Amino acid sequence: MVRSIAQKEFLSTLRDKRFVVLSVLVLLLLLAATVVGLYSAHTLQQERMVAQEEVNHQFHNSQDRHPHRMAHYGSFAFRPKSSLSFLDFGLDSFTGASVFMEAHRQNSANFSQAQQSSSLIRFGEMTVAFVLQMLLPLLIVFLCFGAFTQEKETGTLKILLSQGVSLRRIAWAKIKGYSKTVALVVTPALLLAAGLLFGQNGFDLHPDTVWRLLLFLSFYLVYFFIFIVLSVIISALHRRSSTALVTLLGIWILFCVIIPKAAANLGNTLYTTPTKAQMDADVHEEVAKGIDGHNAQDARAGGLKKELLRKYGVDSLSQLPVNVDGIIMAAGEEQSTRVYREHFDKLTNTFQQQNLISELAAFLNPYLAVRHLSMGMAGSDFSHYLHFQEEAEEYRYKLAQGLNHLQATRLTYKDKTTRLSSDTWKEFKPFSYETPPVQWALSHHVFSLAALFLWLVLVCTVGFRLIDKTQIV
Amino acid sequence: MKKFWILIKYEWLNFRADKGLLILVTLTLLAGLYGIYYGTTEVERQRQNLAGLQKLTEHNVEEMKAKYPAGADAGDIGYYHSTFAVHHPDSWAALALGQRDVNPYYIKLRLLNLQSQLYDTENINPQKVLAGNFDLSFVLVYLFPLLIIGLCFNILSVEKEQGTLPLLLSQPISLPLIVGAKLTFRMLVVLSLGLLLSIIAMLWGNVVPDGRVALWLGVVVLYCLFWFAVAFLVAGLQKNSAFNAVTLLGVWLLLTIVVPALLNVYVSIKQPVPQALALTIKQREVVHGGWDKPKEETMEKFFALYPQWQDTAQIKERFVWRWYYAFHHLGDVAVADLASQYKQSLLNRHELVQRLNVLSVPVNVQGIFNALAGTDLPSYVQFLQSATRYHDALRAFYYPFLFRQITFHHADFEQEPKHHFASSPDVASATAGVVKLFISVLVVFGAGLLLYRWKVASVK
Repeated sequence: MVRSIAQKEFLSTLRDKRFVVLSVLVLLLLLAATVVGLYSAHTLQQERMVAQEEVNHQFHNSQDRHPHRMAHYGSFAFRPKSSLSFLDFGLDSFTGASVFMEAHRQNSANFSQAQQSSSLIRFGEMTVAFVLQMLLPLLIVFLCFGAFTQEKETGTLKILLSQGVSLRRIAWAKIKGYSKTVALVVTPALLLAAGLLFGQNGFDLHPDTVWRLLLFLSFYLVYFFIFIVLSVIISALHRRSSTALVTLLGIWILFCVIIPKAAANLGNTLYTTPTKAQMDADVHEEVAKGIDGHNAQDARAGGLKKELLRKYGVDSLSQLPVNVDGIIMAAGEEQSTRVYREHFDKLTNTFQQQNLISELAAFLNPYLAVRHLSMGMAGSDFSHYLHFQEEAEEYRYKLAQGLNHLQATRLTYKDKTTRLSSDTWKEFKPFSYETPPVQWALSHHVFSLAALFLWLVLVCTVGFRLIDKTQIV
Repeated sequence: MKKFWILIKYEWLNFRADKGLLILVTLTLLAGLYGIYYGTTEVERQRQNLAGLQKLTEHNVEEMKAKYPAGADAGDIGYYHSTFAVHHPDSWAALALGQRDVNPYYIKLRLLNLQSQLYDTENINPQKVLAGNFDLSFVLVYLFPLLIIGLCFNILSVEKEQGTLPLLLSQPISLPLIVGAKLTFRMLVVLSLGLLLSIIAMLWGNVVPDGRVALWLGVVVLYCLFWFAVAFLVAGLQKNSAFNAVTLLGVWLLLTIVVPALLNVYVSIKQPVPQALALTIKQREVVHGGWDKPKEETMEKFFALYPQWQDTAQIKERFVWRWYYAFHHLGDVAVADLASQYKQSLLNRHELVQRLNVLSVPVNVQGIFNALAGTDLPSYVQFLQSATRYHDALRAFYYPFLFRQITFHHADFEQEPKHHFASSPDVASATAGVVKLFISVLVVFGAGLLLYRWKVASVK
């Protein structure tokens, strides 16, 4: 019986021309989004790779320079696109693509796509995730709103029940039928996406990418399932198809349009973001209290000098076996970096508090849960962006300190003219960025994961209990 | 005409009795009020932040004075002292925040080369900007159509489904009159809500009451009329409520989400902006290359651009500030082409969107709102240009100190140029948008009328 009801739902949707047209449209959008996403991610990736190679080359082939000059010459970190980001651009369009890394200063990540766009970009981007998150639920609503109401309106529900099937079993059978239909719409596009991905990487995909892709798909399957069950439940609770439909559309609008924006805006209102100017000024202020890398008159630098003189048992700085300039510079860098990182952590904390509102709202709204998880798997969420920034900062620090070390060991006191040979720069490993593993990505979305799971459990338990109470008119 | 008013009166009675509709209207009102609150607090916050910059500059000047008690070499001041180029919001910005949250609204400047400072970004939470702004323009562009759809999707079909349509038609009234009266009633509700919210926003945001008041209100009316026209058209198909709801929501989805997203893809492919990374790499190369070039060569190049300093003392020292700032400026000169191409590409992008927005009325209307509030990409590009001019002014101010080797005294800080830039509305493009909007409304209403004539004829 379950099988035949499922089969009936499946067949009758296929015979419904309107549904077929809509499905084909969604499928076409999905395919278009896959191709477009891959193309634009590839273009950006190429642009950034070329830029990264160019700056690495420039660094390694720099002229003979004083190491501190080289520290100011610095390097760039260009953020590579993660291999799955073509499925979900996530925050990528709103985060900077390049960071200039130099001594003493932590620069912002500049040139985001959004800054190079007119406000059109704020309407949303055509990605696979967008189609899956927003359009498919709508298709599901359209598919399922009449699940029970139609049977009630035509009087067939009574007949069905008289065959000895329970309401639950009918609901279950319908869910099965609808799931099959949805799978029919989604599968071709996902196969294409996977195929393109494999094709692009010459079939030697990193296992981590495969895991990410599999989880990405599973989260969406759970999400669709939640929407299907939810629609069937709403249908069971209503007497007329039109009211069931309107209710479901209302839910969709609330879930996909209003709550996400309201939650993000609320977070922003509750927790104030400090301006970069204020933050930089605060860092400067705190650093000035300590040691200033450029100002050897500073009291702490004096202390450091005395200590060195005592340690090596000499009476003038020029007699030291090491170059005190480099050592003071290194101490200054250490201090300013520590202060900066404290402030940066505070800033990211503020951001995370703001984002927490959206993450908690996922318990009210499965759309938000799947959106966060999707970005997480695609490597385009906040934590991945943060990870990149931290890696770039770490590289910057090591580069600066490496050059300070050169100054301390290979140059003499007050020597501002000696230039180290170009080969020296080849000793520095260029910046390279690896996307962190999938476990890491998942660990940043505990709330969303819990919310999605909770929704799944809720619709399957409370939801089905509600179906039991359906009035058979 | 009397019949018309009777119909309106009964619609009002119906409306009052229908809790669902009341809730819908109340929710939209609340959303609108929240949007206004959000927009004004956001702009207020930006204003406060901009005011805070003033203090930071003052603080920095105090620090300089303490560091150089007897006056300083202007080169040191140029290196350690910073000021800000500021982009003040227009008084209308609160109504449509546009890209003001994405683009930096101030730039910290030192006398160093401009291109390495001009594109620094503000602390932005990317997840927040991805979600977008819940301002009044969002409520009007996105949520008002949904309200209209909610009020109108069953305008005719509900009478059919309740079996009251034949009763109504048995009276001496025509179908278009019934639909017209019902629509008119709903229009009165929605338009008064839209206009009320707009006026509240204008008062709350304390906007400059110029010609934009009429433009804004006109756009609100026309945009609502557009969606009523769509509802009118769909009702004319005389299908059931479910069909209408899905069709209307489908149109909404297409116009506010799908078409814009596709346009976005098209624009980014058609008008790429490749200069940014090239620019940032090249300026560093040229500036730092300046250290290694013979000083005469650098100075010669610089003097070719600024002959007024040609006769200044020849550089014999290993390091001197005027040489340092000269090669920094040459770095800017070397990428001037790229920088102007970059700005041009951005403007071309915007132009392209302006041309394509006929494909989606919501995109057009959002564009009009942003143009009126001066919050879109062109304002940002103008700000970049203004900041560039400010940097020029700063250089012009410091060069005499540097090249004539005059001591920079504490009093000289007073004379340092200050920057002020406030975005201005783009009334021309807003007006062009209004014309397009007006045509869209006419086209859809016209199609609706044709449909009714055809449908009625086919019924007969």
